[in-house]
Amino acid sequence: MTHRKNISTYISRIAISLLLIVAATGNGRAQQKNIIIPEDSIPMFRGFAVSFDLVGPAMLALSDHGEYEGAFRLNLHDQWFPIVEVGYGKANHENDEVTGITYKTGAPYFRIGMDWNLLKKKHGPNRLYGGFRYAFTSYKVDIMRGEMDDPVWQGSNIVDIQDMQCSQHWLEAVFGIDAKISGPVHLGWNVRYKRRIAHNDGTAGQTWYIPGFGTYGDTRIAANFNVIIDI
Amino acid sequence: MQQKQHNILKYCKQGSLYWLPCLLVATLLAIAGCSSIDCPVQNRVYTVYSLKKANGTADTLKVDTLSICSRRADGRDTILQNRITGVTTFDLDISYINPVDTLHMTLLDTMGNTYRDTIWVEKSNQPHFESVDCQISYFHTILSVKSTHHIIDSLSINNSQVNYDASKEHFHLYLKDRY
Repeated sequence: MTHRKNISTYISRIAISLLLIVAATGNGRAQQKNIIIPEDSIPMFRGFAVSFDLVGPAMLALSDHGEYEGAFRLNLHDQWFPIVEVGYGKANHENDEVTGITYKTGAPYFRIGMDWNLLKKKHGPNRLYGGFRYAFTSYKVDIMRGEMDDPVWQGSNIVDIQDMQCSQHWLEAVFGIDAKISGPVHLGWNVRYKRRIAHNDGTAGQTWYIPGFGTYGDTRIAANFNVIIDI
Repeated sequence: MQQKQHNILKYCKQGSLYWLPCLLVATLLAIAGCSSIDCPVQNRVYTVYSLKKANGTADTLKVDTLSICSRRADGRDTILQNRITGVTTFDLDISYINPVDTLHMTLLDTMGNTYRDTIWVEKSNQPHFESVDCQISYFHTILSVKSTHHIIDSLSINNSQVNYDASKEHFHLYLKDRY
């Protein structure tokens, strides 16, 4: 008897549950009919921003190579950011204390690419973005080394390579953040992974510092710290 | 008690937010601070001579002794190979900037005969730079080679590029029959 009672209880519970599910689904459909998706009132063109990097000048002040770099970035719907970066990189490594080599170069470089705002709330004051760049530079290198002795044949000679023409194309993957500080001023940093795709290192082996790319052979990861002004 | 736990959770959340950028900056500094010196391990530039028979197979000095010397800039001789025996190939240094290297070869066989030949290697010299941390070296392109023919039958260029890669022989040296 008790057993029969339990079975009827289960059946009634299942029936009630099914009814509730059907009712809820029906109610949901009714609600869906009433949902009105608001149109995005934010225009496509949201202005542009100029920025300059602080890491390159700091490196130039603290070491023998670095860059001055600025960028111009369009803001499309707070989501897409086409960007052009222009800089001037230079190195002046004089009379290395171990090898005695002097290496000098200085040239402009150019990057073009796009950033994407990765945040869900794209119209907020702060941004998290990823992007890519194509970059190019054409530069001339001076390499000097005084009084180099031939250990077997003796006699000494001087290495003096002037205005050796070189060039390089490379790609960068960028990940970074922008944070609004005050008014139109933003601060932001980004991390870049660089990979060269074509290069001409001249006639004397390799080059050491490449404007905009840095020293080849070290890490391919670099970072920028930008001051950004929305216009 | 619940309020205390809530405060701790809040602190941890706040802490993680502060801790993450610090870790990021530290990682960036570590990456920026890391620099490596990638000078080539094999950084000697020299030529490789291979002894050949007329049919193109490898020849050997057996018990004959071979010595090679050259004249330095100060007029004194420098020995490049001293009484080598039993080899099928041997290495010779190449000058940094001389347009022609003059090599004096002396072969002494088991019969007590001494043969002397002179080899002239004409080449171009190109400074090779890797990095400011690595010493500059000279690479060369061999333009021509000639010799006297007392014991040398002929000498030919097999690989004209002299650089860090010495895996391919630069010269094939054919000696006359000594026995």
